[in-house]
Amino acid sequence: MLKKKICMVGDFSVGKTSLTQKFVNNVFSEKYLTTIGVKIDTAFINDTKLIVWDVAGRDSLSPINASYLVGANGIVLVCDGTRQSTVRDIKDIWQVVKERIGEVPTVVALNKADLEDWHIDAEQTAYFEEQGWQTFETSAKEGQNVKALFEALVSEIG
Amino acid sequence: MTQMDDHHQIDELREILNGANSSELAALKERIDNVESRTRDVAEVLAPAISKTDSDALVSSLKDPVSSSLKYAIRSEPEDYAEILYPVMAPAIRRAISQAIASLMVTINKTVESATSVSGIRTRIQSFRTGIPYAELALRQSLLYRVEHVYLIDRESGMQVSEVTSEQVEGLDGDAVSAMFSAIQSFVQDSFSRDRSAMLTDLKVGDHNVWVAHGPTLMLACVIQGNAPEALKGDLYDALYKIRTDYANEIASFDGNVERFEGVESYMHPLLQLRLKEGAEVKVGDDGEKTAKRRWPLVVAALIALGFIYVWFMQSSKISTVEYYLRQTPGIAATDVYWSDDRLVVEGLKDPDAKIPYGSFQAYGIQPEVLDFRTIPFRSLEVDMELQRFRNELTLPAGVYLSVRAEKIYLYGEAPITWLTENDARIRQLAADGRLTISALSASFESVSDVLRANFSERDLRTIRMSSAARTDATIVQIGGSLSPKNLTFISALFAGNRWVSVIANKAEVDTRNADGSLIQENADGSLNQENVEDPSS
Repeated sequence: MLKKKICMVGDFSVGKTSLTQKFVNNVFSEKYLTTIGVKIDTAFINDTKLIVWDVAGRDSLSPINASYLVGANGIVLVCDGTRQSTVRDIKDIWQVVKERIGEVPTVVALNKADLEDWHIDAEQTAYFEEQGWQTFETSAKEGQNVKALFEALVSEIG
Repeated sequence: MTQMDDHHQIDELREILNGANSSELAALKERIDNVESRTRDVAEVLAPAISKTDSDALVSSLKDPVSSSLKYAIRSEPEDYAEILYPVMAPAIRRAISQAIASLMVTINKTVESATSVSGIRTRIQSFRTGIPYAELALRQSLLYRVEHVYLIDRESGMQVSEVTSEQVEGLDGDAVSAMFSAIQSFVQDSFSRDRSAMLTDLKVGDHNVWVAHGPTLMLACVIQGNAPEALKGDLYDALYKIRTDYANEIASFDGNVERFEGVESYMHPLLQLRLKEGAEVKVGDDGEKTAKRRWPLVVAALIALGFIYVWFMQSSKISTVEYYLRQTPGIAATDVYWSDDRLVVEGLKDPDAKIPYGSFQAYGIQPEVLDFRTIPFRSLEVDMELQRFRNELTLPAGVYLSVRAEKIYLYGEAPITWLTENDARIRQLAADGRLTISALSASFESVSDVLRANFSERDLRTIRMSSAARTDATIVQIGGSLSPKNLTFISALFAGNRWVSVIANKAEVDTRNADGSLIQENADGSLNQENVEDPSS
C-alpha cells in the first residue's frame, strides 16, 4: 500500500477544515487544531492512503507551523473566494512552504464557491497558472469539486 | 588462381595441421550436435556441479521454479500430498487442540473463580456502569503492564511504516495516530525546547504511557498501559537498531511505499509484552489479521473436535439410556451395550417372554431398527417374569388369583375341581420347586357339589357334609357325613386319586370339625354352603 502525506494550508477561516471533513475519515476531534495547530485524518484515493494534515490557518498573530509540512508529498493551498486577501496571501504561504520543504506537487482550492459574493477573477488567479497549479472552485458545503481536488493532487504526486 | 583452387588448398592445409586428430574432432562435433549425448553428459556432471556451486546463488535461482513446481504438484495431486504430510500435521494438530482445550479449561476455571469472588462481582458492577467489557476490566486489574501498540514511524513525514497491536486491544487508525505522534513531537519541540535535537521520549496520559525510541530517520513508539520496566526502553532501541540495520536501503529510499518493509513486524512483535501482577509474563504478539490467519486452522480443528465430542456424547448418552431401561426390564440381563456400524448392539441374556421397552427407547430418539439384540435365551426366575409366565400358562378361572408377597408368588382362591384336576400335576410341580405357594388354593364347594349332584339323589345329598381343611401344601375339601357304606364307596371311587378332595368315613371326626365351626351347614332348601373359609389374600 502506498501512503502519501498531504498538507492543507491557507489563511485562517478559508474553509480548510470543512473541505477536509467532506473527504476524510474523522479520527481526532477539531480541538487539536486549536491546541497543537494541526489535526490529522485519513482518506483513500484508489489504492493510495492519504494522511491529511489539516494545518491551522495563518493569521496576523500566528504563522503557519512549518514543522508540520516536513515530509509532505503534496500541498493543498486553500483560499476563500469571497476574500481576495486570502488569494493574495497564498504567495506568502507558498514561500513558507517552499523554504521549508521545497517544491512539491500542489493544487489550489478556491473555496466557498457556493456563496454569491464571489470576488475572484482570472487576473487574481494568474499566479496559480504561472506556477502550473491546477485550480478548483470548491464548495465544502455542497461538496463541489472536493474529490476532484484530491484526485488531481494524487495524480500529480504520481 | 580460381576461387575453387583456393578452397582446395585451404582444405589441404587443414588436413596437414590436424593430421591424426581430425577423427577426434569429428567425434567431438558429433557429441556436441547430438542432443541425447549432450543430455547424458550434463546428467553426469549435474550432481557434482550442484555440490560445488555457491549454495546461496543456487537457492536463489531455484527458488521460483521449485516453488512453482511444488504449487502445481500440490494443486494437481492434493490427496497424495495430504497423505505425505499427515504424519507431520496430525500430531501437531492433536497437540494444538489439546493445548487449546487445556487453555480453555484454565480460562473457564479462572472466570468461574473470579465471577464468584467479591472482587469479581465488584468488577461486574463496574463493567455494567462503565460499559467496558468485564474481561477487559478483569485483565486491567491483574495487569502490571501491557504494551498495546507499537508504531514504526518515518520521523520526517510522520508516516507510519508499520504497526503491531496486541490482540486484546481495539485497533486504531495507525496512520493517523503515528502522524499525530509526529505532530505532537514537532509541537513540543517548537514550543518548549530551543534544542532542535531534543526529542520527545515519554508521554503519560492517565494509566497510559507512550515511549518513543528515536533513530536518525525512524522512530519506534509503543503505547503502554500500566507501569513498564525501564528495560523495555532497551528492547525498544534494540528493535529499532535491528530494523535500521536490516532495512537500511528501504529506509533511505522511503517514498510512502510500506510494502517494501515486508517482515518488519517480526522485529516489533516481541515488544508486545504483557506482565500480570502475579509475575507471569506472556507474550501476546501479532496483529489481529495475522493471528486470525494463523488461527483459522485451529478453529476448524477445534470445531471438528467439538463435532466429534458432540457425536460421542450423543452416542454415549444413547448407550446409557438403553442400559438404564434394560436394567429396569424383567427377563433381560444386558452384559454389554455398544455402537457398531451405526447400530446399537446389546449383548447378554434374554428371556423369550421378556418385553423390550421399545416405547421408552423411542422417546429418546432410539429407533427399534437401530437396536441389534445379540442375546442368549434364558429362563428368568425374576418374580415379575414368573408371574407373567404363570398367567400365560395356567389360564386362571374366575375365583383364582395370583399375587406377590415378600418376593413369593401365591396362587389362591377356589377353583373348579375340573380345572384343578387338569392342572394338578403342573401346579404341584411348581409348588414343589418353590416357585408357587398354593396353601390357600382349594377346590370350590360348588364344583364339588356339582359332581355329587350328578351322581346322588336329593335324599342322599342331605347326608353328605363338606368342609375345608388346610394341609401343609394345599387346602383340600373333605367330604363326610352320615354316609352309607355304599355311598361312601361310591364317593371314594368318584374322587379316587384326586388330591384336592378327601372322603372321610368316620362321622365323629366330621362332627368334631362341625363343633369347631369349620363345617358346611346344610341350608333349608337342601343346598350346601360353607362358612369360615380362610382368604389367603387378606
